[in-house]
Amino acid sequence: MKILFEKSAKKSKGIERLVSRFFKDVSTLESELDVPVVIFQDGVNNSYYVKCQILASVASKIIDLNAKINPEDAESFRANRELMLEHTTYLKMESDALKGREFNDIIVEYNLKYDKDKPLKVWGGQHRAYAISKAANSANHYHGFKVYFNLNKNQRTEVALISNTNMAVSDDTFDRMLEETTFGNTLKKWCQKIRFLSLKEDFPDVGSRSEKITVKLARSFIVNYYKGLDKGKTIKTDDLDKNIYEPYVTETGVSIDPEYAKIMIKKGNKKLSDKGIIEAGEKFLDLHKTQYKKVKESPKKIKNRKAYRNKALVVSVLCSWSYVAGLLQNHKARLLNHYKIPKTTSKIPDPLNAEEMSNFKHDSDPPTYRGLGTRQSTKDRQRLTQVFLAKSLTDTCILDKRFLQKAVSTVVGLTTLKKGYV
Amino acid sequence: MLNYRNYLSYSEKYIQLAEEEPLDKLKFLIPSILLSWIAIESFINNIMDDFSSLPEDLFELHERGLLLEKKVIFVDHGSDMGKFKIGQTEYKRLDEKILFLITKFGNLNKPYKGEALWQNFEDLRDTRNKILHPRRNIELELTVKKAYKYLETSKNIIQFVSTNVWHKKISF
Repeated sequence: MKILFEKSAKKSKGIERLVSRFFKDVSTLESELDVPVVIFQDGVNNSYYVKCQILASVASKIIDLNAKINPEDAESFRANRELMLEHTTYLKMESDALKGREFNDIIVEYNLKYDKDKPLKVWGGQHRAYAISKAANSANHYHGFKVYFNLNKNQRTEVALISNTNMAVSDDTFDRMLEETTFGNTLKKWCQKIRFLSLKEDFPDVGSRSEKITVKLARSFIVNYYKGLDKGKTIKTDDLDKNIYEPYVTETGVSIDPEYAKIMIKKGNKKLSDKGIIEAGEKFLDLHKTQYKKVKESPKKIKNRKAYRNKALVVSVLCSWSYVAGLLQNHKARLLNHYKIPKTTSKIPDPLNAEEMSNFKHDSDPPTYRGLGTRQSTKDRQRLTQVFLAKSLTDTCILDKRFLQKAVSTVVGLTTLKKGYV
Repeated sequence: MLNYRNYLSYSEKYIQLAEEEPLDKLKFLIPSILLSWIAIESFINNIMDDFSSLPEDLFELHERGLLLEKKVIFVDHGSDMGKFKIGQTEYKRLDEKILFLITKFGNLNKPYKGEALWQNFEDLRDTRNKILHPRRNIELELTVKKAYKYLETSKNIIQFVSTNVWHKKISF
């Protein structure tokens, strides 16, 4: 097999020998096809490396995820971060690997100084390396490796750092990309029609930094509206308050939420165009705008916190509100009450009473509970659904402390009855 | 609004003050014991409120009477004549409320009144009664050790009810 140095790489007999040994020891596509291999030298830290393709079944036996910065030191711990095997991005990676996806640019060091049976010490792409190992038996494909040789400690550290530095892509950005790819502009157009977004505006890259609706929130609104609508058709008005409801939070990240996809596919050409969901969206936007304005305008009565201004856009609040909007479509009198913005008073300046919600705690909550409408947990969604449902009983509702307590008491009581009523 | 955790922590604080006090420990032990009792009372009353906020037809009338701490009366005149209905306030004993909750929701098969937890609860109740209904011939024999025991009893009763009603342990 012919081994060449790239023109800007300084020739080194030692490196050439090491590279030659590597290709003798490790089966690669290059050695199998007997094609020339080029040795590159990094212009910044002068480290040497080659690029090659290795079969998953070969790599899985010789990669070492416990790479050490200082191999001579027995005390040196593994340098890589813990694998995040439950992360959605990894799960997608593993699923793709099982289907035969080929990965590239896995950064390894050929090092025989420790754990000789596993000479490929992984410095970059450890999740990809793990995923292809897991898939080796079912999808034995070639994957692209960048193999470094004879690294000193400083070079090794730098390789580790540059291999693990990336621009984090937020789940909101993934959502936006996938949404457009799968369903085109329908969701964006719906948000523009309602005025969640202005006419030429797109969903934000990172929802937590913006004060706008995200793809996840818009999808959750739609799914909950239709879930509530289906449920409401099966319940008599008198029985509406005897149930615990559990609004849904759409998944975010590298895959499209299945419930959302189901709705979008089922609706076909009439996606998001029915009168009910447009009206619900508009009423919800009214609530959000009023909440935003009231918090901003009342600095002496309530702190002008982003979390308070955007209370309506908290996942649990939005999911619960839209679920109730769907649920009450067949119970018109209560729907009209639901659409009315909660009253404010001299002591409660904002309709959602964000401060009181944040201070709220039931006896059954752990000391660390952060209040109503601050998280997206099931408990929070159930409670807020009851808040909005109870609010829909009258047209003059104020979400004061007593009202919130009674609503949460109802959920806790119903939950207990469900579990242990004898 | 104060909850059982606040009362428990105040009770403990008073015991600590009693420990530091060289002479008159009673002035701290008495409030400590009352606060241990109030913690249970607050916890139980709030659970009762959770149930009394539910739609009326989910409970029998006599159960609602207990939950609301109101009398069930027989109406002998007017449009409701011949029916039972909820009447005026009638405070119920704490131990009755506890018994109702754990029997209704706890599915307990074994007697628990003879067990140490209930004996300790009754001991706390008796001491609380002696404090609230003082008489010349009733001697209060309170110690720091006893106060700690009552605080522990309060926590254990709360935990017992939580486990039986909510089917989960709570952290203090």
